[in-house]
Amino acid sequence: MNDQTPIRLSGAEETLLAQLESVGAHEAAGVLRASGLPTRRVEAYHYTDLRMLLSDVPPLAGPAPASGAPEFDIPGAYRIVVANGEIQNAGTAPAGVAVSTRKGSPLDDRDDVLVRLNTALVGTALDLELTGSVDAVIHIDRRLEGDAAHGASAARISVAPGATATILETISGSEAAHMSNGGTTVTLGEGAKVTHIVVDRLPESATQFGTVDYRLEADSRLVSLVINAGAALARTQVFAEFAGERSHSDFFGLNLVDTDEHRDITLDIRHAVPNTTSTELYKQIARGRGKGVFQGKITVVKDAQKTDAQMMTQGLMLSEEAEILAKPELVIYADDVVCAHGATCGDLDDTSLFYLMSRGIPRAEAETMLIRSFLAELVDGIEAEYVAEALTGLIDSWLAKVPK
Amino acid sequence: MSTPMLEIKNLHVRVEDQEILRGVDLTLNRGEVHAIMGRNGSGKSTLSYVLAGKEDYEITEGEILFDGQNLLDMEPDERAAAGVFLAFQYPIEIPGVATMTFLKAAMNAQRKARGEAELSTPDFMKAVKEAAGLLEIKQDMLKRPLNVGFSGGEKKRAEILQMALLAPKLCILDETDSGLDIDALKIVSDGVNKLRGPDRTMLVITHYQRLLNYIVPDVVHVFSAGRVVETGDKSLALELEAKGYADFDGENAA
Repeated sequence: MNDQTPIRLSGAEETLLAQLESVGAHEAAGVLRASGLPTRRVEAYHYTDLRMLLSDVPPLAGPAPASGAPEFDIPGAYRIVVANGEIQNAGTAPAGVAVSTRKGSPLDDRDDVLVRLNTALVGTALDLELTGSVDAVIHIDRRLEGDAAHGASAARISVAPGATATILETISGSEAAHMSNGGTTVTLGEGAKVTHIVVDRLPESATQFGTVDYRLEADSRLVSLVINAGAALARTQVFAEFAGERSHSDFFGLNLVDTDEHRDITLDIRHAVPNTTSTELYKQIARGRGKGVFQGKITVVKDAQKTDAQMMTQGLMLSEEAEILAKPELVIYADDVVCAHGATCGDLDDTSLFYLMSRGIPRAEAETMLIRSFLAELVDGIEAEYVAEALTGLIDSWLAKVPK
Repeated sequence: MSTPMLEIKNLHVRVEDQEILRGVDLTLNRGEVHAIMGRNGSGKSTLSYVLAGKEDYEITEGEILFDGQNLLDMEPDERAAAGVFLAFQYPIEIPGVATMTFLKAAMNAQRKARGEAELSTPDFMKAVKEAAGLLEIKQDMLKRPLNVGFSGGEKKRAEILQMALLAPKLCILDETDSGLDIDALKIVSDGVNKLRGPDRTMLVITHYQRLLNYIVPDVVHVFSAGRVVETGDKSLALELEAKGYADFDGENAA
């Protein structure tokens, strides 16, 4: 769209514009001034109309006051706190972990507003170089502390050839209407094995935007898991490029949504060389008047023969008014591939529920068992025991919460 | 005479527009084993589901008293806690729920509903081990998710295992013999026979006489077009096997 007529900006857009100008990001400001935030007319934001959904933008984050307790306290983990965008790394890094900082966001430029905001607003990013077998879980604990703040942060994670690591990123903060914009790049060197988990645990009053960009070199293995279970408005974007042959990734994700919540996971992966494989399993549970969105796009380029990509998305609707939107998409230019996608959506299976109840299990407990069983395979892929426990705990506490 | 374990009086049941049960009358006393025989579509399975409390059935007339209580007012879990157990014709596979977790949840839920203390883990393990041994259920099977990857025979044995652990007052066996080879049939029948006792009543639903060689009933009912058309002792099953169901259809129509 080359519409030259300046659009009328919303309050949120005006604030963002002023913030971009204040940090000297004139180019990003120019784009925003010309096209505004994406609306439903923009394909990638069709189900998450930011212009409509984003009503307020808090002021840019200043220095963080003292941080609260970590959202997940994983025993034995090496924790790096990034509070209001500032890296506070007090501990000693375990063997194989080199921690430093770099100037600017590592995210590649993309025609995407969230990426543009991240690259414009991040001054200093965390830089991690991982080598060998890193036993300790690396926990990047992103926080927004104090009064409501718009905070951008980023991390570049480079995993050396043959290295193995488990990285957990959590986004949390004080009880305020924060807006977080996180960016992470993870590069897997040849034969590297990585588990990377991103969990949003911001307060409900907050807004969370996140972008993860993976690059897989030959023979590397990735397990990726994204959970949106915090901010009422959340969108996590996952990009991946299969750049080396025989690389494989299992992608998982979960949106847990209640009334007045809108959570979106948007996946965009590219099989760019021959003989790469992936599985994608994204689940959503919606209660009350909650809305969950999953968009999954797999592109197989012309030369990427023998690609095997299997995408599945499943929605569980626990109320009449819940909304689950799913858009799986395969774009295949190669002719010798095995790719498939599937989507299911529904409420709990009556027959299973009856079976459990006929054994004396009360309805509420039987429903919880079935919901847990629906989610079990997401956490099953996580080998780090304490991390899997923490994620199970997170799911259980969501289930135990009285729906709005 | 004490209160019957189960009294079904003039039960009429519809599913959508179709009347499936058309005036069922049955009385089962304590300690008795009754068999219901009938061809496919005669309403046998509907009766078992209605007893266990499955939704989607509209009771248009009649009542069911279980040990003197109005069964139709109770939720399926309340019926189970009161002592009703249905061994399903097609046990449901539930991926993601471990068999042991399920067994423990069921046993403890029933105990809780009856105001009893929860089972300790060692007591639970011991009970499962004993019952599983009798049914030749291997530990490996119990480690799998509920009924997932079980063969037809394994599923039926797992149902009887649940029945043994939950110790119900009324056991309803819905075509428990279907899909079983002769060895499995013997194991399952032995398991059921061990549970027979003066305070336990059984309702065995089948369309083959074969099962009744192993689980010998006190009373046999013939079901046709949604009601009981003939009642007799175990010889009725043999007669039915010899003559087929056609003779009984006539009486029903009359």
